Amino acid sequence: MPYIASYHIFSVMVKKIIRLCYRKVIDASSSKKWDKYVFESTYTEFLMQAQLYNRDKKYSGFGELIQNVPGAEKLHFLVSAAIVGYLRQLDGVVPDILNNLGKHFLKFTDYRFEIINSDVKNKSSHQVAINFFSEPLTWHDTIENYLLLSPVNEEKTNDGVLTELLSLQPFLSIYSIKPEQNDNAIKS
Amino acid sequence: MEQSRKKFLKHFLIGATSVPLILEACKKDDITTSGDTGSGTETGSGSGSCSVSPTETAGPFPTKTPSSLVRSDIRADRTGVAITINITIANTNNSCAVLAGAIVDIWHCDKDGYYSEYGGSGMQTVNYTAVHFLRGRQTTDANGLVSFTSIFPGWYSGRATHIHVHIYNASGASLLVTQISFPEGSSSAVATVNGSGGTAYGYTKGVTGYTYNAADNVFSDDTAGVESATVTGSLATGYTLAHTIKVAA
Repeated sequence: MPYIASYHIFSVMVKKIIRLCYRKVIDASSSKKWDKYVFESTYTEFLMQAQLYNRDKKYSGFGELIQNVPGAEKLHFLVSAAIVGYLRQLDGVVPDILNNLGKHFLKFTDYRFEIINSDVKNKSSHQVAINFFSEPLTWHDTIENYLLLSPVNEEKTNDGVLTELLSLQPFLSIYSIKPEQNDNAIKS
Repeated sequence: MEQSRKKFLKHFLIGATSVPLILEACKKDDITTSGDTGSGTETGSGSGSCSVSPTETAGPFPTKTPSSLVRSDIRADRTGVAITINITIANTNNSCAVLAGAIVDIWHCDKDGYYSEYGGSGMQTVNYTAVHFLRGRQTTDANGLVSFTSIFPGWYSGRATHIHVHIYNASGASLLVTQISFPEGSSSAVATVNGSGGTAYGYTKGVTGYTYNAADNVFSDDTAGVESATVTGSLATGYTLAHTIKVAA
């Protein structure tokens, strides 16, 4: 078994199953309509929910609340309810990320919302991030600065499996990785 | 390694010189790939890199949407004995007349005693379609009433059965954070749901280790029963909870 494993490591390219994470940061300078809606609705929700952890109005900054009030980290989750409607509007497609043909192609159902900074007295300091986690992708190869990918379970055509070429870029990362072999072994 | 670094720098420089072209392209494309799509790569989106500009039909078009908490049916994917939660808000600053236009948030645990929240720590992923179960927000009507469709709350160690409530005025300023307790006794809804009859609905904990109101650290001082709701109904037809909460608005 160890012999087989090392053989795979040194073989040309063992296919891997990966999930990508795109961390979309939204703040007062965001200019797109969707981003602005998310900015407004999450700030409104933050103002409402933060009162749970700030009954005597002692704190104004999100960082202060997190540091001083037990349970205040739940605000990430509580405020996330404000964006669910906007996530639905994306129809399961990760925004901003394009293939090399200039089209959106990355599918998601999982996300994680985080408040980076905020302040009940200063809206302009409000900054949030939405982490979009892609559906599993087969990573076939790497060509220069591009990943050659296709959705797992993509049906084969006469030309083979259809692929997407994706450029490595800031705020885009590989969230998880596993060898394709293991995946098949579990299935069979 | 050195070669790939050079390659990278070369690409970077090409990228830098082509920035004005990309910006120009964005400008021309403004109609089809404008901010309205919510999905183009424009400035300040966080993915600013040297890659192609969006070249596809505009859409989907974002519309202003209330928080997903705003709903009367708060069950999402949770199952259990049906309960309708009717809460009336009264104003102590107006001779306890009913208060219209107040925002009421409620949340409670599922039949097994779990709340919706991010599990664990760090960056675990969450499916957005069902993550906010058993949490809801409504605005009181002319009768000061809000109504929620839910499932009978279960219980967890250290607490009696309860529902959390946060009441705000119409502009979102907090008026009161409180909890609603449930009546107890052999024929009470709490005893029935957590008794043998509730097993068929998934309430399998029984009442061994249950914390009763008198020993609950929130309700033990409520000897007058101010926080205690009226609960009527049955397993088969579901229960209805009615409760009035007084705030100074």
